[in-house]
Amino acid sequence: MRRILAAVLAAGLIAGMTTSMTAPAQAQYPDRPIKMVVPWPAGGDTDNIFRPFAVELQKAIGQPVVVANVGGASGTVGEREAKNAPADGYTLFAGHDYMHLVFYAGMTDISYKDFEPICLISATPSVLTASPKTPWTDWKGLLEDAKKRPGQITVGATLGSTSHIFPALIEKAAGIKFKFVSYEGLATRMNAILGGHIDLTDSNLTQKGKVDAGLLKFIAIASEKRNSEMPTVPTLKELGLDIVFQVVRGIMVPKGAPAPVKAKLNDACGKAANQPSFAEAMKLQGTTVAYLDAARYAKFLDKMDADSKVVMTDLGLIKK
Amino acid sequence: MYELLGQGILTVLQLKYLVPLFLGTLAGVVGGALPGVTITMTIIVILPFTFGLDPLQGLSAMTGVYVGGSAGGLITACLIGIPGTPSAIATTFDGFPMARKGEPGRAVWLGVWASFLGGLLGGAFLILTTGPLAAIALEFGPWEYFSLFVLAMAMVAGLAEASFVKGLIATAIGLLITVIGSDPITSVPRFAFGSAFLNDGFPFLPVLIGIFAFAQIMTDLEKLGHPKPEGTMEGAKSLSVSHLKVIGEILGRPFLLLWSTFVGIVIGVLPAIGGSAANMLAYDQAKKFSRRPEKFGTGIPEGIIASESSNNANVGGSLVTIMAFGIPGDAVTAVMLGAMTIHGIQSGPLFVVQHAGLAYGIYAAYILAHPLMVMIIGVGALFILKITSVRLAVLAPIVLVLCVIGAYALNNTMQAVYVLLLFGVVGYALVKTGFPLAPLILGLILGDQIEINLIRSIMTDDNPWLFITRPISGGLLLCALISVVLAVWQHVRHQKRMAAEADTDF
Amino acid sequence: MRLSRDGVAGLILFGISLALLADTFNLPRMPLVPVGPGFYPRIVLVFMAVTSVILVAQDFLKVRAAAPSALAAPGPRRRYDLVAAIFAVVAVYILLLPYLGFRISTALFVGAMQWAIERPRTSRQWAALAAVAIGTVVVSYLVFETYLLVLLPRGSLTGW
Repeated sequence: MRRILAAVLAAGLIAGMTTSMTAPAQAQYPDRPIKMVVPWPAGGDTDNIFRPFAVELQKAIGQPVVVANVGGASGTVGEREAKNAPADGYTLFAGHDYMHLVFYAGMTDISYKDFEPICLISATPSVLTASPKTPWTDWKGLLEDAKKRPGQITVGATLGSTSHIFPALIEKAAGIKFKFVSYEGLATRMNAILGGHIDLTDSNLTQKGKVDAGLLKFIAIASEKRNSEMPTVPTLKELGLDIVFQVVRGIMVPKGAPAPVKAKLNDACGKAANQPSFAEAMKLQGTTVAYLDAARYAKFLDKMDADSKVVMTDLGLIKK
Repeated sequence: MYELLGQGILTVLQLKYLVPLFLGTLAGVVGGALPGVTITMTIIVILPFTFGLDPLQGLSAMTGVYVGGSAGGLITACLIGIPGTPSAIATTFDGFPMARKGEPGRAVWLGVWASFLGGLLGGAFLILTTGPLAAIALEFGPWEYFSLFVLAMAMVAGLAEASFVKGLIATAIGLLITVIGSDPITSVPRFAFGSAFLNDGFPFLPVLIGIFAFAQIMTDLEKLGHPKPEGTMEGAKSLSVSHLKVIGEILGRPFLLLWSTFVGIVIGVLPAIGGSAANMLAYDQAKKFSRRPEKFGTGIPEGIIASESSNNANVGGSLVTIMAFGIPGDAVTAVMLGAMTIHGIQSGPLFVVQHAGLAYGIYAAYILAHPLMVMIIGVGALFILKITSVRLAVLAPIVLVLCVIGAYALNNTMQAVYVLLLFGVVGYALVKTGFPLAPLILGLILGDQIEINLIRSIMTDDNPWLFITRPISGGLLLCALISVVLAVWQHVRHQKRMAAEADTDF
Repeated sequence: MRLSRDGVAGLILFGISLALLADTFNLPRMPLVPVGPGFYPRIVLVFMAVTSVILVAQDFLKVRAAAPSALAAPGPRRRYDLVAAIFAVVAVYILLLPYLGFRISTALFVGAMQWAIERPRTSRQWAALAAVAIGTVVVSYLVFETYLLVLLPRGSLTGW
């Protein structure tokens, strides 16, 4: 009897030990900090959007979420870093529409299909912005001048990325021609446009303060409706250009992540994106919260990719 | 403005910022005092810690290192006759003789108070001129930036001790390093030969950390077991001295103090020259203006005051350049700028306006670092002297581990760590073949910006004459030409009476 | 004719610049930018080639002027063997880092490097070596990963 009891006890102990050893590996995702790869340098608008999101996500998921800025080569370095990371849910990829554009521009072989979507979190409408040293005050003046001087009005842009595509769409819709000058990142474009070294650029509502101070001019916003923050700025649609252009950003994981991990992330992401404090933080970034869950985000990405291909083909920038 | 500064000081006085500032200053003083550990090295070691702090905490710590380091060198300079950093070389000339004559306290405290006063005058300059200079910087288009960078490189190559040609080649190597990898405009891979490693290019911080850390540690290791230089001041038991008298001695020479400070500030504002030139030049100037030049080098206060006030004023000047133009003046400010970028702060003409809280926080940290520095040296000078005997066997691996962490944490990739090692080897090889490192680092720091601004100016207007006909740009290019001519002339004259030069300077 | 260190360095750099210069002509051009990605590298490389030629020429003239006998007076012996050994130790450390993870490889590295620079003899010295190695890891891990949230490399083999 005693022997049997001892055996049972021992078996129980061993069983207990093994379960206690294996259990964390299976069920307890996440049990250590999660890395969020932001493929742009810190301080850009992408970084400014994902950093507050990381804070919310951390609260929702119960482990630190650490932003890792892996910048360089129009975001393709960070993309590769995230793609090559183990698909265990401890590496998240924070992307935006540039993925499709750089893929079709032939800058990288990585496409959105190398990742699995988790959620879409935000949308930032683009605003066509002019230097204070330019003569025109509205779209009409700009259009006339552009027709008079084709290829003379300078536009600062990150070549091949959203800030390039947006003015290029305007060019095409209005039948005018700009001269593009490479200024990577919104911060450098702001220095250049305030000094009058470029005439136009793509920016967003974060620059409202400078417009109020008379340092910049907003020409038009590329959203469906006027923005309540800046009701005097007309939409491009009102001006007769059928362009709605916003930069959307979301979270993905490398392909092959286990389903429970994805489910957990999807849950946490939904909670985080719908926090009022996140909406508040986004307002400062001239951005609205635009939450889509994994399934809808996947559909959205497919459409986005097809659209990007059309745009890049139209603009003659396509390489693939 | 004064209100903002007051707010800044109140902010930094909070423990949250005061602690990093204090620790940074302490690290700076110790690093500055350790012979063979430069300020650059100290700030490289501090860098990874700042990744996890908020921007002002990180920059406070770095400002502390810069201020503390510029002063810390005087401890070893006065007491053992070895400059703790290159920016204290001239301090040894009079500080060490004075200490040997039985006045170690007077020597150290003359240096400390001169650093304090020079530093604060530099601070006044920093606070008053950054705003106006930033307004001018905003008017700088791509042409002006390009010409400014050319001027910076011309000046630094001209300063190279051994050979002007080698200085130019070192600059070219620095520029070439930045060319490898994706081109900054269209992301076309250059000189990658199909390798993903080369395709990612060489980000400048790992390269800089690798070159400095390895060149330094390896040259120290080479000399392991060599006898220490003679004549150390083991006897200095107490540094107590009448502070009023010492401060009186400094303030009694207002022209000397102001002129040395001025020299320090100007050298600081000019890109990439730095404290090692400032103290030598100020010392030289003090000697020229003095009524008793023959006494210099025998242990007179003037020498210490000139050297120490200029090297701390130089810090204020360098901070102006990064804050107004977003251009690092030397390797130390390059690391600071890198740290800002990591925290998402774009330095440049709009910095002071857009990040007023941070900018005034840095001013405040700069000002507050000075009393902290005085306190740290006052309490710990003799103790710090003991630390200088830490064995290399312990110091070297720890420094290298921190370098690896710094490189890794920059981008969270091993790539940067491989770059670190690769350029450790390159840097050591260059030192051994007698190429100066300062021009190389400058080329490295400015390389991308030079190319981008050159291409931008061509994209904006295809008229190449604009570089000359735009007045600021043309003026800067003219200055560059003059400094090249001067450098060549000086080297020709110099070579006739120059014997073989001594060791490399970092 | 004999060239010194400078001349050899100049020749090597000249060779590198010519080889890379040839490569710049293979770079594709983008329609948007008026000058191709090879434009600026060519300026740098031409500059480097010219300055290296001057360096070689200077060296050549100097060697002919001075007697080729006296290399600088040999100071105390320099420990190049130690430098090579340390470079090797660092290289092994960096290569192992992604496999063993930060904590294990750093402890090994700090230990190995102390051992390479100063052989411990007594057991006390061994204990000090181990203490520094483990101390470095514990302190840096606690400060960076736990306190500052700066993530350090995790080993793909050890998961640690």
